[in-house]
Amino acid sequence: MVEYAVEVNDLHVWLGERHILQGVTFRCPERTVTAIMGPSGTGKSTVLRAINRLLDLNPEAKVRGRVKIFGVDVYSVEPYVVRRHVGMVFQEPNPFPHISIYDNVALGPKLHGIVRSKKELDELVKWALEKAMLWDEVKNRLYDLPTKLSGGQKQRLSLARALALKPRILLLDEPTANIDPVNAMKIEEAIKSIVREEGITVILVTHMPAQAVRISDFLVFMYKGKVVEQGPTRDVALHPRSELTERFMRGEL
Amino acid sequence: MLRRLLPEFRSNDDRRFFLLHSPTTLIVLLILLSIITVLMLYSVPVLRKEGLGVFIKNIWRPSDYDPEAEVYGLAAAIYGSVYTGLIAVIVAAPLALASAIVVEELIPRRAKGLVSTLMDLMAATPTIIYGIWGMAYLAPLMHRVLLLLHHHLSWLPFFSEPPTTGYTIGTAGILLGIMATPYAAAVIREAYSMIPTHLREAAYAIGATRFEVVRILVSLIKPSILAGLALAFARAIGETVAVSLVIGNSFNISPSITVPGYTVSSLIASQFANAGLYMYMESALFAGGLVLFIVGLVVNALTIWYMKRWEEAIKRV
Repeated sequence: MVEYAVEVNDLHVWLGERHILQGVTFRCPERTVTAIMGPSGTGKSTVLRAINRLLDLNPEAKVRGRVKIFGVDVYSVEPYVVRRHVGMVFQEPNPFPHISIYDNVALGPKLHGIVRSKKELDELVKWALEKAMLWDEVKNRLYDLPTKLSGGQKQRLSLARALALKPRILLLDEPTANIDPVNAMKIEEAIKSIVREEGITVILVTHMPAQAVRISDFLVFMYKGKVVEQGPTRDVALHPRSELTERFMRGEL
Repeated sequence: MLRRLLPEFRSNDDRRFFLLHSPTTLIVLLILLSIITVLMLYSVPVLRKEGLGVFIKNIWRPSDYDPEAEVYGLAAAIYGSVYTGLIAVIVAAPLALASAIVVEELIPRRAKGLVSTLMDLMAATPTIIYGIWGMAYLAPLMHRVLLLLHHHLSWLPFFSEPPTTGYTIGTAGILLGIMATPYAAAVIREAYSMIPTHLREAAYAIGATRFEVVRILVSLIKPSILAGLALAFARAIGETVAVSLVIGNSFNISPSITVPGYTVSSLIASQFANAGLYMYMESALFAGGLVLFIVGLVVNALTIWYMKRWEEAIKRV
């Protein structure tokens, strides 16, 4: 039996009066990359925020349906427990500007007491920065503020911060949308390597078909709050069954 | 030369608008200039007589007959101002921070407006109201509290002297702290509410509980908290009426908060009416005003400099 890392079943989300997600269903097998693709305003990010319960922060949000992570309903446990195991990287690079590069990465592990000594913490920080392909660029200025980093470096720092918690699932919300192509490639490399080497399951929201094809194993195409088509990336990308998917892949949507 | 200082006008209306409104800015600047000038000029006689000693001696001896026998030293008042200011900051810090967090994080959005309006109302309450409340309620209460503290903790320098009344440095400091709280809270609240959503979400996304998120966000606005407290300090050392009613008006320099004291403002308020009868007293009080002005200026300048530095650092993210 295939073990699913994430199962989203008939998920509905309302923000105030607006019905944002209208019965979204998909599954992500463990150790794979699933790309959620679709035009802007389709509700892709909302799916991620329903998975790690960031939607709880919005008093207007109402959620119906089921989201399971390794068989556990995320709405049956405390949200911070979910987020402890489900990392997230946002579209906007968001390292904390007032603490050092080192402390940004170390904050989560310290909060959750997952290291016992300074040495262990140092190793974890190094590991996370290496995985985010940032170590070489910052190893000599770990105690500087992240304010001096470039946009792409900040985004990789955000990735390292998420990885430092050793999450089993990583949610990436258009992580390369606001950064230059070189940094975007580095992030894509990092994503591939963490899935391959660390066995982390990744859900990537993107509006770039090419990126989805490059790094994902499965593709979920969404349009106006609904899943239009899903399946192995090659199948959906090369032989789309829906006209909407085809038009999106051609860049017409 | 003058032409270069003036803006270029595209029409006569612009020129008239400028000519009509620019004097108002000039008036404000002139007033400030005249304040500095008056403070300095009127301080000259006592500075000539006592030298800088007027700021470090603790003595207040007017003489009805011989002006040369008059001796004035502001040390007790300056000490009292700084000491009560510090107590005020210690009192205001937890109150302001806690109230700002409660308003921003804990209470429902609908109640938020009401509570912050109430806080603003506290700031708008005339200070004399605090003064008479302090006299009627706080001072008697503080007398009992300070007696208790002195009884049990007299080995601490802060409570070493027996309180004879509730009119003490401690009472004044606490009253000032309460009065300054809404100001500090407003600054902290503003900074807290301006924390960008993406940083707030970053804190939640690493699995922080609500309490932990608040801790992270509070550490993010530390400079604003400092600015709020600096404002509280500046308010406290400038406050006059309420303090004169509860501080006991006595020239003491003691670490104990259980004794009566003076602040520069309360000294000026209580002595100015009679100061004209003496040769140098008025000048000594102006010298006190000058000290207040300079301390306020330095505290504000440091705060603005620190905030600017922080804002620039934050902007780069």
